Amino acid sequence: MNELVLMVALPLLTAFLLPVIDRLSSLAARWIGPLVLLLTAIIGLSAWSQTGSGAITIELGNFRPPLGIDLYVDQLALLFALAVTLGTLLLWPAEGEQRLRQSTLALLLAGSGSGLALSGDLFNIYVLYELIAVVSYGLAASRGTAAGQAATLRYLIVSAFGAALALAGIALVYQATGTLNLAQLAQLAPTQLNNGQGLAAFVLMLVGFGVKAELFPVNTWVPEVYATAPARVAGLLAGVVSKLALLIIVRLLILLFPQPEALTVMLVLGILGVLTGELAAWRARDFNRMLAFSSIGQLGIMFIAFSIPGKAGVFAGLAVALHHLVVKPALFLLAQRWGGSLEHLAGVAKGSPLAAALFILLALSLIGVPPLPGFWAKLLVMIHLLEQQSSLYALGAWIIMAGAALEANYLFRVASSFYRREAAATPPAAHRTGDLAGASLLGAALAAAVFLIVPLADRIEAMAGQAADRDHYIQTVNPEPLP
Amino acid sequence: MTPLDQLLLLSALTVVVPLFTGNRRITGPLATLLYTGQGLLLLRMAGLGYGSETPVSSAVSLQVLGLELHWRFDALSWFFALITIGAGLLSSWFASGEWAQRYRDSGSSLRLFHAALALNVFTMLVLLASGELLSLFIGWELVSWASFLMMSLGSNTALRYAMRYVTYAFAGAMAVLMGLVLVYTRTGSFEFQAFRDAVPSMDADTVWLLFGLFAAGFGVKMALLPFHLWQAKAYAETPGPGAAFLGAISSRMGLFAMIVVLVQIIGVARLVELPVPFTFLSGRDLLAWVAVFTIIFPTFTALRQHDARRLLAWHGIGQGGYMLLGILIADDLGSAGGLMHVFNHATYQAVLFMSVTAVIHRTGTSDLNKLGGLVARMPLSFLAMLIGIIGLAGLPPMNGFVSKWLVYRALILEGSPLLFLGAVIGTLGTILSVYKLIHNTFLGQLRLEHVDIEEAPSSMLWPMMILSTVVFVTGYFPGLVLDWIASVQAAVGLPVLAHHLGGVHIDKGGLDMIWVVSVLLAGFGVGALVFLSGNRSKRVHQLDNYAGGHFLTADTRYQYSDNFYPGLMHLIGPWYRKSFRWLEGGFVSTVDTVSQLMQGLYRHTHPAFYLLAVVVFALSWVMGGD
Repeated sequence: MNELVLMVALPLLTAFLLPVIDRLSSLAARWIGPLVLLLTAIIGLSAWSQTGSGAITIELGNFRPPLGIDLYVDQLALLFALAVTLGTLLLWPAEGEQRLRQSTLALLLAGSGSGLALSGDLFNIYVLYELIAVVSYGLAASRGTAAGQAATLRYLIVSAFGAALALAGIALVYQATGTLNLAQLAQLAPTQLNNGQGLAAFVLMLVGFGVKAELFPVNTWVPEVYATAPARVAGLLAGVVSKLALLIIVRLLILLFPQPEALTVMLVLGILGVLTGELAAWRARDFNRMLAFSSIGQLGIMFIAFSIPGKAGVFAGLAVALHHLVVKPALFLLAQRWGGSLEHLAGVAKGSPLAAALFILLALSLIGVPPLPGFWAKLLVMIHLLEQQSSLYALGAWIIMAGAALEANYLFRVASSFYRREAAATPPAAHRTGDLAGASLLGAALAAAVFLIVPLADRIEAMAGQAADRDHYIQTVNPEPLP
Repeated sequence: MTPLDQLLLLSALTVVVPLFTGNRRITGPLATLLYTGQGLLLLRMAGLGYGSETPVSSAVSLQVLGLELHWRFDALSWFFALITIGAGLLSSWFASGEWAQRYRDSGSSLRLFHAALALNVFTMLVLLASGELLSLFIGWELVSWASFLMMSLGSNTALRYAMRYVTYAFAGAMAVLMGLVLVYTRTGSFEFQAFRDAVPSMDADTVWLLFGLFAAGFGVKMALLPFHLWQAKAYAETPGPGAAFLGAISSRMGLFAMIVVLVQIIGVARLVELPVPFTFLSGRDLLAWVAVFTIIFPTFTALRQHDARRLLAWHGIGQGGYMLLGILIADDLGSAGGLMHVFNHATYQAVLFMSVTAVIHRTGTSDLNKLGGLVARMPLSFLAMLIGIIGLAGLPPMNGFVSKWLVYRALILEGSPLLFLGAVIGTLGTILSVYKLIHNTFLGQLRLEHVDIEEAPSSMLWPMMILSTVVFVTGYFPGLVLDWIASVQAAVGLPVLAHHLGGVHIDKGGLDMIWVVSVLLAGFGVGALVFLSGNRSKRVHQLDNYAGGHFLTADTRYQYSDNFYPGLMHLIGPWYRKSFRWLEGGFVSTVDTVSQLMQGLYRHTHPAFYLLAVVVFALSWVMGGD
């Protein structure tokens, strides 16, 4: 079972060895990254079936927690570890002169991302989160433009402040309980963290980790970074990294902070995120910025969904998150050539009909048109929001609806400009095969999901049930009691 | 496999076939054949239309997220499906011959056109077959996007207005979704029956909310005021046969959904009980007045158009108001009138769009200021348009008269004189503008450049003649259609209209069209006898004209079509204020201002400030609870 550790270790190790390998053979250095990611993905997939019946825990060095470090592998964690691995593979950002540096960063991202998803204690989560942050600065600024560096600097400042807050929150938790192991914390939470200090810790961690999860209002870095970073990197950040940060917050909510106040804070910030994100996207006149704002809005929907108490919320939020995980990277792959002002996109459908059709498919699913998967996710969120019989949750539902209407307007304004008869003066270059193939793959997955919606929904529901089960987590890890 | 499954399967096949046959000449006739097949399968369920059969369910049902989806056809679905398939069949026939060749030569894709048409028919059938609220919503969205596809095949203008449609339609769809999720959280089910059972126990506020959400959402498709700005130009600029199809049936899907939710489930009686605060109106009255204004404003907008297709498309919006008005009266006469108008409107609107398309095919324009005198060149197209406009204006002996008569009669009997007045004002505008249409196209002075044009090709004439015959025959024998209407009324729980082949018999003066039309025809016969027994006439060329003893050369414009009805326009011209455009513009600029503020939030250069601010706020909130 311990081979799952390789999902974390192998990419990290390869990343450190990459400069050496490059000295020996540049061809090997070019291919080893994707190959390693493919290998780790296979390792992860082969473990998939074992997690179906129940989660497993891996104690590194066979030390039982809280002394030892443990990895907690349930389907949710494994899915996200796989997502970060496959996402990095699909959006492999290495190109041009900085190929080596980019490959290293991408491998570090995959390794630390998998680690983050699988970690079973707060300290490791913090360390790996910081590692991801550093990697993403490097990736975001890799274009080397002044605007890119300015945006990254801003990102760095917010992110550093956020990390400091998160650390403060972790410190508060440690002060209250004397442990950082999640399972043990889950045992102690009802007695030790169900108070003002616990809530304060949650708020600090929510805001801290929220920086990368594009939580309003600590997401001001998003539009500039996504507009200036290479589109593939933006796709990675929006599609994968944001979900990892969200995953941590959800884990904390389930295990440590089931208090209604915690959910309300998240709900309110989520509503504000949808509102600001969709409105700002409506006015954006730049393809990447539009996608960036739209992803803020979508993440807002996820925050709203996860703030629904119990398994229902996890199910609904997970459905939206997985949908977005497929759609947003595909859109950013298209943005690789279509970045910049929207005016340049007039009439592009003639030159690249496939890309235009893909954009329409993705947009339809994003706004939730049946029978595409985005619709079912949205329906789930709506039903569970209104079932809460609370005006704040109902407000969330109304805001999501209004946001979708706005989103339909701005996405299809762009889509219909593709089909305008007179083309733009300076049309964008045709997509590279790699980008188009990646986007088509994701689009095909989306289309296939239409027909597989029934089994998919069952799987996700089971996954949500497993993840939302606090006692299952505690029993699986079975930590030694504190002295 | 039930007949319904076979129908849906064949309809899906009709979508696929053009994708393979592509731009070849065979595509049109093949599609027409497939529509005929669909029609035959529909006739196998004809028992539904005569009230002798229980609803036909589909063998397919789905269980998604624990929600059951199923499909079935009842009399209401059958009636609307009949119109849909008929419109699809004749539009596709119309688009099969010379029109297809011209369309292809202009560089457009015939494959896409036929696929889009078939997709519209298919999605409409899916919508009509929906068996609970969720499949209703799915069908609704499919129809919306299919018609968007059809509209976006047109010119740039059509694309721009189709875009507007998407905005309105999706906002409307979200309202509908909100409504049905609200229903779900109250009843725990999407079934019609569960909803119907829950309505009596709902308080007035809830019913108001649901009524508002559903009426607004479905109203977008019908282009009810104030959501009407998208429709006319989007439909008008769609490729000819597509415009005929959309104009005939597409926006009626909104009416179908409204009948299902507002009449069949919530019930008009419940709407009557909903008071509008601070007025003496009820919810039903409110919607009825919206319907009346939907008749009046778009009809008078049509009067100002100088493009034949836009004129017709604006009337399409206005006529929808009659249907809704009739159904909202909810007695046997009114609802029959409203339902029958769906059929009647589809027939004459299709024939009108077709004859205008035939004129465009020959002359290259639909600008009413650049046509005229075509009656001798295209006599059959003229005949088709004549029959069509008589139907549209609601005059005997065509079918439009019967349905409007029923609505008027019901309005008077129910004691709604103001609504009646509004409806009549609308009809006045209709008569004026259809006269303008036929006059400027076929009557008046022939243009020199049109001297040599010929009658429309037979592939266009056949559908036009068939439809004209239907318009006339169902006007002569309205009982043919009223049979179906009666089954529909029974199916949706409205009082059933007692009728006979010639019309209806009621105590306060019925209507027997056989008698009316026969007298009319006899009158014409007498006139014809007088005409034929008179002096021998001499045929001259159409350009051989004299005025005041002077020969008028063909390039002298002695009859003007521009600035039609100057006297009337002098009177009512100042009333056209583009208020709805202004309203829409105001809304858009509000959203724009707010979103500018939101963008400003993200442009802020002190990101850390937000971070601290939100932490302080949130901390003080959660700690303040202690």
